[in-house]
Amino acid sequence: MSENGHDHPHPGTGRTATPSTLRVRAMEKLLVEKGVLTEAEIQDRISYMDSRSPANGAKLVAKAWTDEAFKNRLLEDTKSATFELGMDASGPVEFIVVENTPEVHNLIVCTLCSCYPRAILGRPPDWYKSFEYRSRAVKEPRAVMREFGYEPPENVEVRVHDSTADIRYMVLPMRPEGTRGMGEEGLAELVSRDSLVGVSVPEAPSHFNA
Amino acid sequence: MSGPHDLGGAKDFSGPIDKSQHEVEDWERLTDAITTALDGKGIKTTDEHRRAVESLENYAELGYYERWAAATEKLLVEKGILTKEEIDERAAEIKREWGEK
Repeated sequence: MSENGHDHPHPGTGRTATPSTLRVRAMEKLLVEKGVLTEAEIQDRISYMDSRSPANGAKLVAKAWTDEAFKNRLLEDTKSATFELGMDASGPVEFIVVENTPEVHNLIVCTLCSCYPRAILGRPPDWYKSFEYRSRAVKEPRAVMREFGYEPPENVEVRVHDSTADIRYMVLPMRPEGTRGMGEEGLAELVSRDSLVGVSVPEAPSHFNA
Repeated sequence: MSGPHDLGGAKDFSGPIDKSQHEVEDWERLTDAITTALDGKGIKTTDEHRRAVESLENYAELGYYERWAAATEKLLVEKGILTKEEIDERAAEIKREWGEK
């Protein structure tokens, strides 16, 4: 429990005795005792996932906006492009980055489960795993995006990508108007997790529009 | 035949999307870690995990990581790595240690 009652990235002790929490702790202890896993291996996995965040995706996008050659590499071979920026998305999973253009807006879902580019962006948000998002994104993507406060213009084609265990998608949004002269770091701050999934788009900071 | 996981276009979930986010809890981190560590060591595969999740009888009642925990347990028991009884026993022990009734 955090002492000040503020939000904290690691709240609680995880000691709520629900059947699942107890059984997971039991499995952890038994697996370590039997030598199936070590505590270090388990901790490594926790650190691995904790170190992934949408900031990685934002960095990739900002770089792609300012470096055309990098953008092409990101679209052609996402894994090696992530390595260039010091990210490790290795593993058996394929990554595909889909580019928004004035003609096409992309939206990512996993109707069957929650497949998500975890190795880059971390754990998916709760809404991405919700039955409503999984059900509706493929059927009425525009209505879904409206709920997130965005709808592409009528003449823009909406493409919905249904992720699988083997292929994970990420959206490369369009660089917003009015951001000329901004550096990579500033641009990265405009790129939200939601825009990497496609339920929203990045917007220029208000002082740039003013 | 589609299972309870096949939600694309499903009519039952036409309501608004809940955009609230809960803080990931430690036991959820642990569940994630155990599951992926077992995958990493080749003890089980992502496809086996999916099959185990999708065949849970109470799929819709469970939370996301509750499904993961149940699926991992199912696979460990199937593969003869752990038994349900020893997990039952150890879980009861931990509950006593934590002083919960």
